[in-house]
Amino acid sequence: MAVQAASADIADLIARCSLHDRTAFRTLYQRTSAKLFGVVLRILKNRAEAEEAIQEVYIKIWQRADRFVAGQYSPISWLVAIARNHALDMLRARRPAGEDIDAALDIADAAPNPERLAAASEDGARIEACLAQLDAEKADAVRGAYLDGYSYEELAQRFAVPLNTMRTWLRRSLIRLRECLTA
Amino acid sequence: MSDDRDDSAGDRRGALVAEYVLGLLGPADHERIGRQIEADPALQRERDFWSARFAALDGEFAEVATPAHVLERIEARLFGVEKKPSVWESLALWRGITAGALAVAVAAIGFNVMRPAPSVTALTTQLVAALEAEGSDVRFLALYDGAGTVRLTALSGDVTSEQDLELWAIQGGADPISMGVIPVNERSEVEISEEIMAGWGEGSVLAITVEPKGGAPEGKPTGPVVAAGEVHQI
Repeated sequence: MAVQAASADIADLIARCSLHDRTAFRTLYQRTSAKLFGVVLRILKNRAEAEEAIQEVYIKIWQRADRFVAGQYSPISWLVAIARNHALDMLRARRPAGEDIDAALDIADAAPNPERLAAASEDGARIEACLAQLDAEKADAVRGAYLDGYSYEELAQRFAVPLNTMRTWLRRSLIRLRECLTA
Repeated sequence: MSDDRDDSAGDRRGALVAEYVLGLLGPADHERIGRQIEADPALQRERDFWSARFAALDGEFAEVATPAHVLERIEARLFGVEKKPSVWESLALWRGITAGALAVAVAAIGFNVMRPAPSVTALTTQLVAALEAEGSDVRFLALYDGAGTVRLTALSGDVTSEQDLELWAIQGGADPISMGVIPVNERSEVEISEEIMAGWGEGSVLAITVEPKGGAPEGKPTGPVVAAGEVHQI
């Protein structure tokens, strides 16, 4: 299938980058930069910042190419995650520390049915089906957080609800989403 | 049922990791939870689970072409590749070559001996530089008299009628300072300015570039370096 062939090509290019193959890096850039630029531009919403960000993203890709494990993620998802996380880091650096709520993972709760999380293949239909089970607004809030990098404040404003309501909405939605995805 | 409670505790943990993956946590929370995840394989599985599931939405990111200069900048930052080598890179390359040129300089000192004997103090601060570069036939000899003047002797080289040769002093990592346009095929003298004198001595570099008639318009070299050499004490 064409998609799988393209995916194998990208995995191969990443592997060659880890061997410091500059030609492979250039080819990888030419094949993937439009996608990753789309990611940072959508999240940062500013062209000049996105141009700075995309440079940092490809520098990270070159430096981290040896950490890519073929088979664990699709190669393009791995690249998108680097771009998305870099853009979010930039936004987070500007956000006030007041947004922290001292969230904590209770280690005593450890070992939540990990076997059901294993081999998490990307099944697009699955997450779409599970999002469809949420109220439309709540599903849109989850999408807005992932695709647009919206913070709780921004989501609360966009959906015209108090901040704490938005936090509660999203946490409940994520719990329901997890139940659905692991069912 | 205890199973229900365990599941819901697991789901709450899972939801917090999902908030982390979505980027919803504040800066300090994000960093702390990130460290906890790094230290715990079960949490890493949870993170990878959410990352892979949300990645199914990646198709919704539209593709946007990057501007042409972005790849150039990335490659320059990663590999040090630039379209045009800067004056500095050219000099680093040519500094080694000029060592051989010193032989020319020493041979040329002969003409200096025939001139009226300079004072002893001046003699101790006399400096010489042979200016040349591979691939260029422009060769100059520069002799500093210890009293503020550099005497230049053109050994070879020529330029077109629309061009001039310009002499530059480069010292201590600073930008090149112009010493003015110099005549081709004849001897000339250049006074050293106070700005150059402040850093002048062993290790200073003199360089010659080809510039438009009248010299570089903005006081910075624009043309190729056709000769360069380090200043040495005689």
